[in-house]
Amino acid sequence: MADHTADTPVRKSITVKATAERAFRVFTEGFDTWWPRSHHIGDAPMKRAVIEGFVGGRCYSEQTDGKDCPWGQILEWDPPRRFVMAWMINKDWKFEPDLAKCSEVEVRFTPQAAGSTLVELEHRYFNRVEGGEKMRESVGAPGGWTDLINLYAQQVEKESQ
Amino acid sequence: MQLDALGDATRRAILARLLDGPAPVGKLARDFPISRPAISQHLRVLKDAKLVLDRAEGTRRVYQLNPQGFDSLRDYFDQFWAVALKAFQEKVEEESKEQ
Repeated sequence: MADHTADTPVRKSITVKATAERAFRVFTEGFDTWWPRSHHIGDAPMKRAVIEGFVGGRCYSEQTDGKDCPWGQILEWDPPRRFVMAWMINKDWKFEPDLAKCSEVEVRFTPQAAGSTLVELEHRYFNRVEGGEKMRESVGAPGGWTDLINLYAQQVEKESQ
Repeated sequence: MQLDALGDATRRAILARLLDGPAPVGKLARDFPISRPAISQHLRVLKDAKLVLDRAEGTRRVYQLNPQGFDSLRDYFDQFWAVALKAFQEKVEEESKEQ
């Protein structure tokens, strides 16, 4: 696992029991209903996460202090098949306004038999993010964090079989 | 220091629990069969090893994984998307059932 380089995309897929239309809608319009609450970069707690559904649309979080915290921008929009967004966060978890220094997330929705939908997510171009390849070195400590995660993931998969 | 922090089964279990999202100390103390002071002690070790971050939310202290404890941004998102997509799947299927 450790030989992954910064330009290897993260690829995940999951099959959901719903049409592509519904899966696309929940992922984007309904983003706030499922997005893990912990994951925001603002300096105040997140109230609501929003994805604006058009090319150039913003992805941002509304904070409890009334301010908006931007973290992305829609680059391609093709409902209910796919969309691409710039992931505008740097390695220090701050907003990165320069698109050339941002990673990118593509999500595809492919209808399957019996009304299910295959949802494939690709998070790529980590090599564009300055310092993103060496985060652990930046805090100056060796450790087995990533290996631990892999062990945990294997455990979860075992239990769910 | 990170290796020491990971060398304890309870601390590994706490980290595994935080993979599902941040949690206040009180909640962690309820989820684990050890005392609240013992949980706090483990969290202090994890924090010193830069594996977790804490922040005040009202009167509570909430703990979460420190993304910079990961090898790379890529490694962080590799675990993050697995958790997030699972949450997405549950939400979609919950909505499908309602209709």
